[in-house]
Amino acid sequence: MGHLLRRAGFGANQKELDQFLSMGLPATIDYLIEYEAVDDSALEAKLSSLNLNPDRLADLQRWWLLRMLYTKRPLQEKMVLFWHGLLTSAFSKVGQGPHMYNQNQLFRSNALSRYDVLLKAVSRDPAMLIWLDSRSNIKAAPNENFARELMELFTTGIGHYTETDVRESARSFTGWGLRQNAFSFNPAQHDTGAKTFLGKTGNFDGDDIIDIIMQQPATAEFISRKLFSFFAYDHPEPAIISSLARTFRESNYSIKAVVRQILSSPAFYSPKAYRAKIKSPAELVAGTVRTLGLETDGIILRGVTDRMGQTLFNPFDVSGWAGGATWINSTTLIERFNFMNRMATARGRALELNLRSMLIPQLIFAPADALEYFVALLLDGNMPSQEKDILLAFLKGLDSLPLPAGTRSPTEDEKSRSLLYLVLASPDYQLA
Amino acid sequence: MRITRRQMLKTSLALVPTFSMLPAVFRRAVAASLLESGSNVSSAVDRTLIVVQMAGGNDGLNTVIPYADGRYYDYRPKIAIPQEQVIPLNREVGLNPALAKFKALWDEGILAIVEGVGYPNQSYSHFESMNIWQTADPEKKQKEGWLGRYFDSLESTQETAFRGMAVGRILPPELSSPHAPIPIVESVALYQLQGDPSYQPGTQARTEALLKLYNSSPREAPYAVLLENTLEAAYKSSQALQQADKSYKAAVEYPDTPLGRGLRLLAEAVTSNLGVKVGHVTIGGFDTHADQQKDQPRLLQTLSEALYAFYQDLRGHGKDKDVLIMTWSEFGRRVKGNASDGTDHGSAEPLFVLGTPVKGGLYGQRPDLGYLYQDNLRFTTDFRSVYATVLSKWLNAPAVTILGGKQFEELPFLTPAQARQLPQRPAHSLALSFVNQRMKDSPKPRSP
Repeated sequence: MGHLLRRAGFGANQKELDQFLSMGLPATIDYLIEYEAVDDSALEAKLSSLNLNPDRLADLQRWWLLRMLYTKRPLQEKMVLFWHGLLTSAFSKVGQGPHMYNQNQLFRSNALSRYDVLLKAVSRDPAMLIWLDSRSNIKAAPNENFARELMELFTTGIGHYTETDVRESARSFTGWGLRQNAFSFNPAQHDTGAKTFLGKTGNFDGDDIIDIIMQQPATAEFISRKLFSFFAYDHPEPAIISSLARTFRESNYSIKAVVRQILSSPAFYSPKAYRAKIKSPAELVAGTVRTLGLETDGIILRGVTDRMGQTLFNPFDVSGWAGGATWINSTTLIERFNFMNRMATARGRALELNLRSMLIPQLIFAPADALEYFVALLLDGNMPSQEKDILLAFLKGLDSLPLPAGTRSPTEDEKSRSLLYLVLASPDYQLA
Repeated sequence: MRITRRQMLKTSLALVPTFSMLPAVFRRAVAASLLESGSNVSSAVDRTLIVVQMAGGNDGLNTVIPYADGRYYDYRPKIAIPQEQVIPLNREVGLNPALAKFKALWDEGILAIVEGVGYPNQSYSHFESMNIWQTADPEKKQKEGWLGRYFDSLESTQETAFRGMAVGRILPPELSSPHAPIPIVESVALYQLQGDPSYQPGTQARTEALLKLYNSSPREAPYAVLLENTLEAAYKSSQALQQADKSYKAAVEYPDTPLGRGLRLLAEAVTSNLGVKVGHVTIGGFDTHADQQKDQPRLLQTLSEALYAFYQDLRGHGKDKDVLIMTWSEFGRRVKGNASDGTDHGSAEPLFVLGTPVKGGLYGQRPDLGYLYQDNLRFTTDFRSVYATVLSKWLNAPAVTILGGKQFEELPFLTPAQARQLPQRPAHSLALSFVNQRMKDSPKPRSP
């Protein structure tokens, strides 16, 4: 259950976990996928009370992180993160204004829709029109940027089309541009001649191109692989991909059908999938605050994921974030640990982790029992015994520290927080 | 004498007393890297390249000013620098008056200016053009940074913790390489594992427990080796920096600007012999679309004063002969001023190379103000010529391989002794530093 909630969301606090455990796995999967039935108005009310300005990057980041922290529709939010990393645009080029916010909302309202529907909307999305230069895609001088990435990064992957296909696709998208900050089709700039694209000939426009791309076997496999790798593990077996690709084609390109099959598949719950991925900074930050049940307006979290290498709304490049091993370098690791330290020792007004109210309802009073509880809550109860021994030895050693003059022994609260820090900073917790 | 990695580790441990408190912790990581890398290490000569990124697109025409060319004043009636304010370098060009400190370096013969730097099919997008400079690939196929590829070209046996060091929060893309994680440091204070603020005496024990956790996690666990090795590198480099911070004393006072603080941090790492081969720092704000005269002089002054202090600091520590500094910006700006007393995105620009190893003067070719392309200057020197020179002549690296198999003309802005190919063996490097010492004592090359 913990695995599902981490991968298909941002983890769960004790109360949520208890609730899902009593529902059971199949009902939880349904709950996650059929999120439109879930009332999320408390989150919307919280967000609107903050008076954020979505034109500003800092507010926009705070807005999205708060959604990850407090939504009751975690899979929807997780899918927005997926689409942001795949159908990337970035504030750095799109610039100040409502476009990045609108694109994020577009991903949210189409989080599990049909892929052709989503792509047609994205091809008209102002942020994308700016990001991949569709604005300057005119009849006399087609700009191939969007046409190329549409296939290379969004659908078939490289090797399934020719340079001629790219040019013909770009011609089909000519005239798609922006007017007064909104999508506008300019017939005067649209090339109405015949185009030959992936073996078909006709007076295609952009929607026709997307329809043709959808029919390619490579597209079904490409998006299935992306989704499975995002949720389960990298380099999935060909049999898994061909089964998901069949579902994609037979369901009329339904993302929901593919995601449902992934989350219900034995491979998703196999040892190969368990802790097989490095948590992205957004997953780590949102997951920790959410699992510990901390209340925040998000100000204190400003810049935290940036310093760990993930600036929301400014992905690394056109292909999003490479993820995996690239999340880990000396700086980002120190940032991760120091973030964990801030969470474990949060005693302030801006952020408070009340250990007593967390532990006493569980009838936990001794730090050693607190350790068991932290491992259960944060690591599904799974921490290798040799690691647990190290933590217990550490706890024992705290009482026999050679104390410099003028210092005291640690309190029980400080001991428990040190143990919590070590669980949060453990190698196991860095994995999703 | 050949130095083994084990000996080198001993040496680096000596630098970090607290590290020796944890003798067994890294046994596995060290053993693993010995296995991967073999045991022999050849010492490389301690040369450093410092890259200063001027983000936003610096207006080159108001930086290195063709003050004798009437067309410059015709194109920019409102934002040209008046002739009498220009600091002349010769009868044709001069520096922005805010660059007085650069004039001092020029007079010492250690400031080179490469004019007309750019690349074919100039992109006017900040993002794309930065990316092109960072990957050294106008065709945008490369993902790794050009200096990341330089790190990859180094022998895997060399100490890696401080191959590169960047000031800031994020990895500058030009230093990115999947194989060589580099420290990115905003301040020495932030670059360390923090403790419980209400119980600091427990920090050391807590950190030790953390290190043991990473050392004992099951080896077959995904990413276990990466996590363990990275923590080792992070811990070692942070301890080394903390240690360096205790003994480093700047030889001069740095300007109290982000760039000044960043360069001070790099000076600290360089003068403490942490092995930095490439340091990176950014100064932003050059995107002067409006009221340029308000902003650009201040930025140029910040740049030149911070770099001047940095150079003096290095000299005070006797390290100036080992450090080469270069600047870059993603593009220059439009020749004509715009309606808001600013300039829009443009193309070719001058860049600066400075330091004791530099043969001061003007290099490249000044773009012709009578031969524009879409109101922009035509570039005359490919930026990869500068990279090729720095790579092959300063860093002794395979420039052609790093620059995607392409050959670029090298520029003669290094003094001949510096530009000689370096021997790899330690014994020779001693001889070379002797030569450098002699060079330093001999008269400076005259500035043209």
